[in-house]
Amino acid sequence: MTAYLLTIVILLLIAPLLLSFIKALKMYLLYKRPISLLQGYRNFAKLMQKETIISKEASNITRIAPFLVLAPLLVTLFFLPPVVHGAFYVSFVDAFTITGLIALSTFFLMLLGLDSASAFGGMGSSREAFIAALVEPAMVLTVFSVSMMAGDLGVGQAGVNLAAHFPREHTASFLFAAISFFILLIAENGRIPVDNPETHLELTMVHEAMILDITGVYLAIIETAASVKFVIFASLFASLFLPLGLQYALPIAIAIFVFKLFLIAAAVALIEVNTAKLRLFKVPNLLGIAIVFAFLSLITFYVLGA
Amino acid sequence: MFQFDTLSLVFTALIILGVVPNLFYSYGYLPHIERKAYYQIHYFAFILSMVGVVVSANALMFLLFWELMSLASWQLILTEAKEKKTLDAARFYFLMTHFGFVFLLLFFLIATDGNLELGFSAMHSIVAKFAYPTLLFFFIALGFLSKAGAVPLHVWLPYAHPEAPSPVSALMSGVMLKVAIYGLFRFLFDVLYPWPLEWGVVILVIGSLSSLVGVLYALSEHDIKALLANHSIENIGIILIGFGMGMIFESMGLKILSSFAFIAALFHTFNHMSFKSLLFMGAGSVLHQTHTKNIEKYGGLIKAMPVTALTFLLASISISALPPTNGFLSEWMIFQSMLGSSHLGDTSLKLAIPFAIFALAMTGGLAIACFVKAYGITFLGLHRSINAKHAHEVNILMRAGMILMALVVVTLMLFTPFYIDWFDKVLTEFGYPSVYERIFPEGIWHMHSVNIHGGVVSPLILLGALLGVTALLMFGYKVLDVKERIHRTWSCGYHASARTQYSATGFAGPIRRFFGWLYKPDEHFSRESIEGDSSKFSDSHYEVHVRPLFEKTLYQSVGKSANFMSYWIYRLSHFEQTRYAAMIFNLMLGVLFSYRIFAHDFSWATLMLEGAVMIISIKVLIIGDKR
Repeated sequence: MTAYLLTIVILLLIAPLLLSFIKALKMYLLYKRPISLLQGYRNFAKLMQKETIISKEASNITRIAPFLVLAPLLVTLFFLPPVVHGAFYVSFVDAFTITGLIALSTFFLMLLGLDSASAFGGMGSSREAFIAALVEPAMVLTVFSVSMMAGDLGVGQAGVNLAAHFPREHTASFLFAAISFFILLIAENGRIPVDNPETHLELTMVHEAMILDITGVYLAIIETAASVKFVIFASLFASLFLPLGLQYALPIAIAIFVFKLFLIAAAVALIEVNTAKLRLFKVPNLLGIAIVFAFLSLITFYVLGA
Repeated sequence: MFQFDTLSLVFTALIILGVVPNLFYSYGYLPHIERKAYYQIHYFAFILSMVGVVVSANALMFLLFWELMSLASWQLILTEAKEKKTLDAARFYFLMTHFGFVFLLLFFLIATDGNLELGFSAMHSIVAKFAYPTLLFFFIALGFLSKAGAVPLHVWLPYAHPEAPSPVSALMSGVMLKVAIYGLFRFLFDVLYPWPLEWGVVILVIGSLSSLVGVLYALSEHDIKALLANHSIENIGIILIGFGMGMIFESMGLKILSSFAFIAALFHTFNHMSFKSLLFMGAGSVLHQTHTKNIEKYGGLIKAMPVTALTFLLASISISALPPTNGFLSEWMIFQSMLGSSHLGDTSLKLAIPFAIFALAMTGGLAIACFVKAYGITFLGLHRSINAKHAHEVNILMRAGMILMALVVVTLMLFTPFYIDWFDKVLTEFGYPSVYERIFPEGIWHMHSVNIHGGVVSPLILLGALLGVTALLMFGYKVLDVKERIHRTWSCGYHASARTQYSATGFAGPIRRFFGWLYKPDEHFSRESIEGDSSKFSDSHYEVHVRPLFEKTLYQSVGKSANFMSYWIYRLSHFEQTRYAAMIFNLMLGVLFSYRIFAHDFSWATLMLEGAVMIISIKVLIIGDKR
């Protein structure tokens, strides 16, 4: 139980750090002076002290939605697979529920975008809806494929099973599923090439457009939600596709886990540096690749058993 | 004459749950209707006939009530027949529903051997002797699915539902479509059992197509009631996916998985009844206040109509299958039963079912987009028209109807185990093993899939966790005592106005463009440019309409070929008298030749020769020269 709670606290704490790390690494690679790794925390502290400005045109949705954006993601944190052998984990939640909770969070984020009557908000919501609709099938198929290799649909149990017995005989389909999931990680978290989290150019932004009219504590909540979402996806990737190092003692296992998270963040940063943002109407091609890999993974599993 | 087994009772309960809130709403709506007596007579006849359909025990009663239901709903569409559009929609509905009725009649005439007063169980033995059971399956599939609105017999829904008065649309979409699902259940289990594998596959394919087609056309729709009607097509598709999976598992001998899939289909039937009725009631209230069905003329209604907005939000979350609502639970069950396909022995089926999973997941994603659009454009932002600005909350009876229906949604969410137990009893009556214990092995908290190593979901714990965390966050916000300031929306230095915010057309833009190959939209774009400059214009207008592909291709080509045939029949009846003699001669020639071919020795050479003689004589004697 201690390990379980400790993991959740650590995940919550390093969530802003990971996003700052990506940004710093990108700046370093572009020969800029990198920002401090603590920038995420500084932003949070600053936003918490600001007053909240609420749009005159907005309704009560703006007052409720930020909490409903964050709450499903915080609940999801409790359902993630264990990071150390023998730790407590929640066994009664499967991947569909997690997909659903993330979609619930996105649903309220999209409503928030439409609430302030600003053209940017609608633009962001519309694009997010388009991307989210195409992410959904790839997600479900990947989950299906992984659950068969792990021998369980429950996320916690799947993580444990994969760590105990790595599906060496299904390496091919495992790899395909991993590629598909990584594309989904990028798409769901709005990273380049799907969305640029640092831009404020209205022609390209998706996530930023939806929250353009949010300030102060509400913005802090939404930013936290974005970082928590990244941590959820990164730790799912770490537990399901890099199921190593769970057998060590608690401090070492957690250190390995955090290292894996930073590794994933570094991979994301490298992709961001090396690719340009795709046009919105090219994004389906990328997501199509994810869908195709998910299907490939299933087909290899069924037909070749590899 | 009547029977009250569990299946009938379950569907009677569905009708009662759908009708009671609707009664309140209907009486709130009544002052709005001119022909009050006419409306009430048909309204109650409609309700009673639906109950009659689900409890009748022989073919005659079933057909009587079925036809009464169709006619009553047809007349209800005509309650406010002021425009030609309404008359056309009603005529189309009348045509489609009787198209289905003909097939039902054929089915019953064959299955009862002409004695229509025969009970359903007695029909089973007659059907068992009938040589072509697949023919009967297609008869009932055409009969019931044309009523339920599955692809390709779905085209009447987006016309008929918007034209009916709102309480009636809620009843038609929420309850009447489910009566068709009842018919499918009743006659597949009671009369046509056991089924070959192919039937299940047919239902699964129809379901997958319906769900995708329904949601895609819903996204491109601007008429809020037509949007909801298209979502009915989608949800009927989801129900049919569950149903088809059940049939596939049954014919593969996997009774427990089959039972689970059927329970999922029944559960989704109930859920769709609850949230779709609620959505139609909400749309009706909005329509009542703004006097337009065009979603682009709404906006900002949440401030004036809080009850409508809140109940509509609940229903939107539920229909988008987001946890922890009832819509999520039934869709979760259908997903779980599809994941059970990995236990099938047949590799081709194992490879095919992921495509259905893909269709269902895609449907879920698009449904979220569609309901963000429907909710966001209707209730959020600024008023897009004068009527929307002057809207206020509807009267107490209509509010009561919506709140009661919202309570039905909530009970389906909270008392899932109770409902599942009930659906389980329906299937045990048909000789299935009970799966309730397998779904809820550890009490009501966790809901398990019946697969080996299947998924688990805990609706109540999820609901509690979500509410708890949200409350905690809001409490934290209160404690922080943040200073709040009201200021106008930032829009690049200009004032935000209703004309600059996003429209429904714009919202669905990326999806419409991506699926352009399917929509083939008619775009109308005009602008008044200033002094011939291409980039400066004083006024511009953009409009886009999407006509369903099925209507454009399937229905219009049927119409064209009917026209063509009627032309030739017209020609035939206006021939000169000499040609009739020639026709009789040709007919005799044809009879003689075919007798020789079918009754005596067959050879290709004589067939070709005789065919050539026939063609020449028809050409020369009947058709003659082209004038």
